[in-house]
Parts: sequence; structure tokens; C-alpha cells
Amino acid sequence: MEERNYMELLQLQALIKESIADAFPGRYWVKAEIASWSPRANGHCYLSLVQTRGGKSVAESRAVIWKWHYPQLRAYFEETTGEQLRAGITVLVRVQVAFSELYGMALYVEDIDANFTLGARALERKKAIERLQKDGYMDMQKELAIPDIPRRLAVITSKTAAGYQDFRNHLLHNPEGYTFQLDLYEALMQGEGAPDSIVQALEEAIRKGHDAILILRGGGSETDLLCFDDFDLAVAIATCPVPVVTAIGHDKDVHIADMVAHQAVKTPTALADLFLDAFQAQDDLLDRLGQRISTAAERLVNRQELRLSSAEAAIGRAIQRRLGALEMLLQRSIGRISKGLLHKYADVARLSDTAAHRVQFAAQARVSAEFSRVALKEALITASDPRKILSLGYVLVTGKDNKVLKTVDKVGIGDRIGVRFSDGSLTAKVDEVYSDHLDNDKTNIA
Amino acid sequence: MSEKFDYAKAIAELDEIAAKVENPETKLDDIDALVGRSKELLKQCKDYLRTVKEKIDSLDKE
Repeated sequence: MEERNYMELLQLQALIKESIADAFPGRYWVKAEIASWSPRANGHCYLSLVQTRGGKSVAESRAVIWKWHYPQLRAYFEETTGEQLRAGITVLVRVQVAFSELYGMALYVEDIDANFTLGARALERKKAIERLQKDGYMDMQKELAIPDIPRRLAVITSKTAAGYQDFRNHLLHNPEGYTFQLDLYEALMQGEGAPDSIVQALEEAIRKGHDAILILRGGGSETDLLCFDDFDLAVAIATCPVPVVTAIGHDKDVHIADMVAHQAVKTPTALADLFLDAFQAQDDLLDRLGQRISTAAERLVNRQELRLSSAEAAIGRAIQRRLGALEMLLQRSIGRISKGLLHKYADVARLSDTAAHRVQFAAQARVSAEFSRVALKEALITASDPRKILSLGYVLVTGKDNKVLKTVDKVGIGDRIGVRFSDGSLTAKVDEVYSDHLDNDKTNIA
Repeated sequence: MSEKFDYAKAIAELDEIAAKVENPETKLDDIDALVGRSKELLKQCKDYLRTVKEKIDSLDKE
């Protein structure tokens, strides 16, 4: 029997290893999709890289990231792309083609071009956006309106998210005292399963009926926001019959979910404010309406008051006019009356004049009569004045007590008598007394 | 509350009242009633803004 030439497996593998090392001495940039991904406890990361064409794998290779490369490489990639290294993403990696006698062919990944992934993603995103626009999904939500009083709100988030608590507190503990009905629909908010989970929650919320559905990412890692660029999620949001508001909260860029939603805000607080503002707007509207009504009512009352006061003034003027007219009439009457009175007075005066004259005449007559009487009396008195008689040659004889003696009866002989003349008097002694009717011998004047 | 409060209807009525009060043709006699009604409606609306009336939200009955 002819003895065959053979070599040991290790010999062959060593040969292959040598050949490969000779044939692929350098490092190669390779574009591939990560098909599987498994970091190990020992610090190395094992993965498989594939290339697909028409949904079928056309090339596949094992690959390793050694533990001395892995941490830096991963950190750099995630920092740059905001995305985790995982299965399903397309990467550009620098590899060394290696062959191990024990493990066979493998690509040792030494570097990764994060910018390539960014670019690829941007391209993918751009394609998705274009498709959404073309199919009319972009503006579907914009045509919906959040009710004036959005009261029943569905929140799709992960219950543990810090942002959800912020939102809840801000919304429910508002100083105005507005109340809301909040229904929580839990969903995965990051990672591969997120889009499906969110779509499911969305469908449930739609069934329950709400005024608005909120998708709140609410904190967590800033990486792995790729799920919010998912095409299927975008379609689900766009076709939702209820307005969807997103608060995914990433300042760097806008996600497709934000674009197709009715509205997108950055923070949980801003999300709460959106609904509080809607209530505030209604409050303001009510205030304005109330103000409008009371102002109008006030104006109306003022107008009526003005009308009233002008009517009052008109009445006042009318009364004044009337009074004026009456006064004029009165004046005229008074004039006429006084004129009449004057006439009357004149008559009276005339009448009284006559009376006065009569009185005067009477008085004069009376005075004349009195004068006559006085004159008569005077004449009488004058006539009986003893001095007048005395001047005619008669004398008055006075007896005792100076009394005029009218007879000789009381005169005795020897009596002293006074004899009064008109221009003086004397005293005499009676010698004799003669009485005419008794005896004359008694008469004797001394 | 036997009847469901209709916020939009209340607002529309308030608008109507405002227009009526603003109309110079409106009689002074009617103002009192209109203003009274507006106050009532405003109160109802404000209360509504601050209270959930879950029981009257028929959509939640399922």
C-alpha cells in the first residue's frame, strides 16, 4: 500500500494562517451590517457581520472586538451617534483578517467609523421622510385639532420615567385648579422593541377614547433615540385619529415621530403647559366675555341715564319755558289789573276828594260857627266884665271879706267898705244906711 | 346634574348675550336678566374648567 502524504490539522491550519497573513497583511475598511452582537463577561465582544441583498444574506463572517479595544470603541461610537452598538445597524469597521488554528477565520475589529453610521442613518432617515411626505403622512395629524378643553389625556411612557412624574406634578398641581384625567399606557421607550411597543400602546389609547395622546420619553439615556425615527411608528402616529403630542426631548435633532405628530415639545413641563395654557385660554375667553357683557351693560345703562338726564333737562327747560310764559301772562295780568286799579283809584281819589271837600266845608262851616260862638261868648263875657262897667262910672262895693256887696241888707253903720273903681279903689266908713223897700234912714254913707 | 353641561353651547350663549347687550336696541328692562344669565353661565363654565365630570363623559362608560 502506498503510503499517503498527510499533515496534521494544526500544520494545515498554521499554513492557512500563514498564507492569510501573507495575503492580507494590512487593515481593511469593511462595510457590513451587525447581524448579532454578544459582549462577553471576559470583556471581549463577539459579533457576526453580514451583507444582505434583497433580504438575503450574501456574505457573513465572524468578528471579534478584543477587550483592549472594545470599551473605547463602544464609547466613541455611542457618543458620536447617540446610538448603541447593536445588531441591525450598518457599520464601517477597520478589520484585520485573522485566522486561528483553533477558531478559524475571524475579523478582528480594531476601529469603527461612527460618522459613516451617522451618514447612513441620515440617508435612511431622509428616505423615510421623503416616503412619508410622498404618501401624505406628514400633515395628517396637523389637520386634527386638540379640543378647547383637553381633559382626558393618554400618556404613553415608561412608568418609571422621571419625566412622567414631572409632567404629572406640573399638570395636576396647577395653581388654577384645573383638573385632568390622566391615563397611563406603558411602553418601552428605547431600544429595538420600542416602536412596536409604542404602536401597541397607541392603538389601545385610541380604543379608549381621549382628547389627546401624549408620547413622553421622559429622561433616561440620550442614546438610542433611533426608535423615534422608525417608519412604522411614524405611520401609526400619523394615522392616529386623536391628536398626538410628542415630548421626546432631544435638543440635537428632530425625530420623525415629532414631525408627523400634531405637535412636538421638548420637555415634560412644556407638555403640561400646553394643556394648562389651553385651559387658561378658556379662562381668559370667559373673562373677556364677562367683561364685554358688563361693559356693554354699563354702557347701556349710562346711555339710558344720559337719555334720562337729557329728558329731565328737556322737561326742566319746558317747565321753565312754561313758567316763563305763565309769568309773562301774570305780569300782563298784573299790569292790566294795576292799570285797572289805578283807574279805580283815580275814581276813588276823585270821590274822596269830593268827600274831603265836603269835610273841609263842613269843618270850615263848623269852625266858622265855633268862631261865631266864641265871638258871641266873648261878647257876652266882655259885656259882663266888671271893669267895663266900672269904666262906665259904676263902682263895686265890697264888704267884709272883700266880697262884693249886692244889697245893703248886710251893711251896718260904721262898717268899713271897699269901693272899687275902674282905675283904683278906696275904703270908706258907712255913716248911714238907706233901704229902698224898708226905711231909708239906715242908709248913710260916711 | 340631570343634564349634561355643554361648554361650547354655554360659550355660544355668552357670545349671544354679549351681542345683545351691546346692541343699542336692547331694552334696559332686559339687561338685568341678561347680565344675570351671563353670570350664571360664566360660573358654570369656570366650574367646568376646574372639575372633571367623569360620570357624564359617556366615552368612559365602556
